[in-house]
Amino acid sequence: MGVTIFAVALTLAAYLATRHLYLRFRHPLLNVVAWSAAIIICVLVACKIPYSAYVPAKDIMTALLGPATVGLAVPLYRHRGLLLRFAPAILGSVVLGALLAMMTASLMAQWGGLPRDVVMSILPKGVTIPFAVEIARIYGGIPALTAAFVVATGTLGSLCGGWLLTLARIDNPVARGLALGTVSHGQGTATALMEGELQGAMAGLAMILAGIFTAGFAPLAVWLLGLLA
Amino acid sequence: MTQTLKALGQLALLWAIYLGSNWLVKVTGLPIPGNVVGVLILFALLALGVVRLAYVELAADFLLKHLVFFFVPIAVGLMEWGGVFYDYGLILAAAILASAVLPLLAVGGLSQLLHRRQL
Repeated sequence: MGVTIFAVALTLAAYLATRHLYLRFRHPLLNVVAWSAAIIICVLVACKIPYSAYVPAKDIMTALLGPATVGLAVPLYRHRGLLLRFAPAILGSVVLGALLAMMTASLMAQWGGLPRDVVMSILPKGVTIPFAVEIARIYGGIPALTAAFVVATGTLGSLCGGWLLTLARIDNPVARGLALGTVSHGQGTATALMEGELQGAMAGLAMILAGIFTAGFAPLAVWLLGLLA
Repeated sequence: MTQTLKALGQLALLWAIYLGSNWLVKVTGLPIPGNVVGVLILFALLALGVVRLAYVELAADFLLKHLVFFFVPIAVGLMEWGGVFYDYGLILAAAILASAVLPLLAVGGLSQLLHRRQL
């Protein structure tokens, strides 16, 4: 009981501190999830608290994740006008991006000889954590590893995504937003928002749609992986 | 006070949709996460006018503002999996790099093309 209260307080403190830091500097490397988790793990290790003792606190704190994720329908609905207006560009490219991200990551992991649970953990790493973790779980992936791969992808995309798109002469704001949101979910959306409102809105839409398409196409991707094993 | 009660009521509605979606996935045996189905159901209810934005947006906006908080405890689970990065770090890094760059350029390129054609 005492450990659980301590763990919840520690998690809240780490989240609020890193969030404050991120909001102040808005740099992709100041990722809230990565730094909060790093701080919490260091404190737990220093206090000799095993992960199993943290689990009850985790279960309490993530109880609202389900309803919160369902709430993603709200921004999707608010931007339904944009969704309709750019439907061909959005649907075509986000489906392609979701498939490519899944296949590239999981095929490379499989060919690299990684165990199946790690391959399944990396498969959905292009989408936002609540979707990615649940997709990984269906195929025997490990939620914590998936979360780490998601954050790594998001950080990479928000650090170099804008620069790479400029290098490839992709200057259309709709295209830039879609690319950042599809590949780097929430972190890419934050970066796109800094470029402009349209970029941000497109990235937010792409993030949610990439999650839905990745969930929908995951059975196909897993089947293909089996064929190419 | 009324705002808090209102938000709690809206949270209950979001929760009910989430639980209903999980139940639907379980019953049908669909290989799709319940939270994805939940987003689709709430979007459909909004689009059909069954649920109005005002019935959910207070709770949804608050939860989405702090969505990242819920990811933190999940990431702490890495405590048990550090070894994976020692063993396979290079392959993992290569896979993540390739699977970020390739789709980024593909999505950007294709949507720019489709968007231009549409205009």
